[in-house]
Amino acid sequence: MNTPRLSRRQRALANCAPITEERTADRSMRSAMSRACSGNEFVAQQKFDRALAALVQTMPIPSETAEWFSTKDLVPVSKWTWKKIVRNPAALAIGIALVVIAGVLVFQFIARLNDFPGSPTARKLLTIASSTRPVLLDPVNTDAGTLSDLFFMKHGLEHYDVPVEFADFKTIGCRVFEDEESRRIAQIWLAEKRMQLFLFPAERDAKTGAVLRFPGWRYLRQEGCVGAVAEHNGVCFMAALHGRDKDLAHYVAKPKE
Amino acid sequence: MLGDPVKAQEVFHATLREAAQRAAHGELPEEPFWLFRDARWRCLRASQTDLQAEPLEMDEQEVTPDASSQIESLDPGRLAIWISNAPEPQRSALALYYLDEFDYREILDLAELKLSELSRLLALGRRQFQAWLNSHAI
Repeated sequence: MNTPRLSRRQRALANCAPITEERTADRSMRSAMSRACSGNEFVAQQKFDRALAALVQTMPIPSETAEWFSTKDLVPVSKWTWKKIVRNPAALAIGIALVVIAGVLVFQFIARLNDFPGSPTARKLLTIASSTRPVLLDPVNTDAGTLSDLFFMKHGLEHYDVPVEFADFKTIGCRVFEDEESRRIAQIWLAEKRMQLFLFPAERDAKTGAVLRFPGWRYLRQEGCVGAVAEHNGVCFMAALHGRDKDLAHYVAKPKE
Repeated sequence: MLGDPVKAQEVFHATLREAAQRAAHGELPEEPFWLFRDARWRCLRASQTDLQAEPLEMDEQEVTPDASSQIESLDPGRLAIWISNAPEPQRSALALYYLDEFDYREILDLAELKLSELSRLLALGRRQFQAWLNSHAI
């Protein structure tokens, strides 16, 4: 007789093998059955069990008792309700992960909505603005609008013009420095609300070298600072201060004549 | 579980009556098999008041491939009597297993057995039933 080698547990499981195959949900049971089914002994056992179970099904049930059984299954099948699914730890973990992923995607999408050519540079400059002390700048007490000539005459920076909205504010100091990409940045410190102004080259198309323009003022936030950026003649201008958008909004909303 | 159909019906109705009362008071247990466990204990209590069969050394024979044809020609009432005369916990194991409504883990839970015990009881039951079939030349 063909008898496959089974471990003690597999032999025990094979002895309890389900009569109908619908009940082989258990992995270890399936494994034990697949090993055992090559043996004649197990095949005979299965035939024996099926015949006995079929005989049990033919046992007459008194009509009084039979009417209690409205369905075929004696064991109530637990239905998957929304409540159960929500309480399931695996479903809960997947749900939380999806919410987090969705949150990150929405955050990134919103961040991208505010992006414009030159925004990475502007963000770096906002970080500089939040860490700069006035003593680092050369003391200059004049109108911001007049510094365009200084930048041109002293540093050869063309079109580094302060927009008319900010031209009349008094300055405390200014400096010209190079960032890590050797772009020359002009920084001006104003007495007005300790505001800082930055002038830096606008982004250019990598292939054609054309200036990537954008219309109007664009806002961005970084480390408690807010910046309003505009582009003109290939040079970006940014006004930055500690605060919120509305603190800057009224400076840029009404251009001075 | 019980050889006497009248007693079996009494147990059945008593179990359902109590279940209905517990349901009316909102005291139904959460676990799905409490009704079957309750019915089993009632059967065991009822069978204790019966005349107890003397422990009998039963013959055992290996299950044969033609056993199924022997079983097909058997009267189901005789099978019921054979199972109800088996000693506990073999009786519970055989009754629950051949009812074919529970998987082995549910039977372990209901009959409060270990896998090795259930396996031994079923294998023993098969061999004894085969010997009984052969001895009665069915």
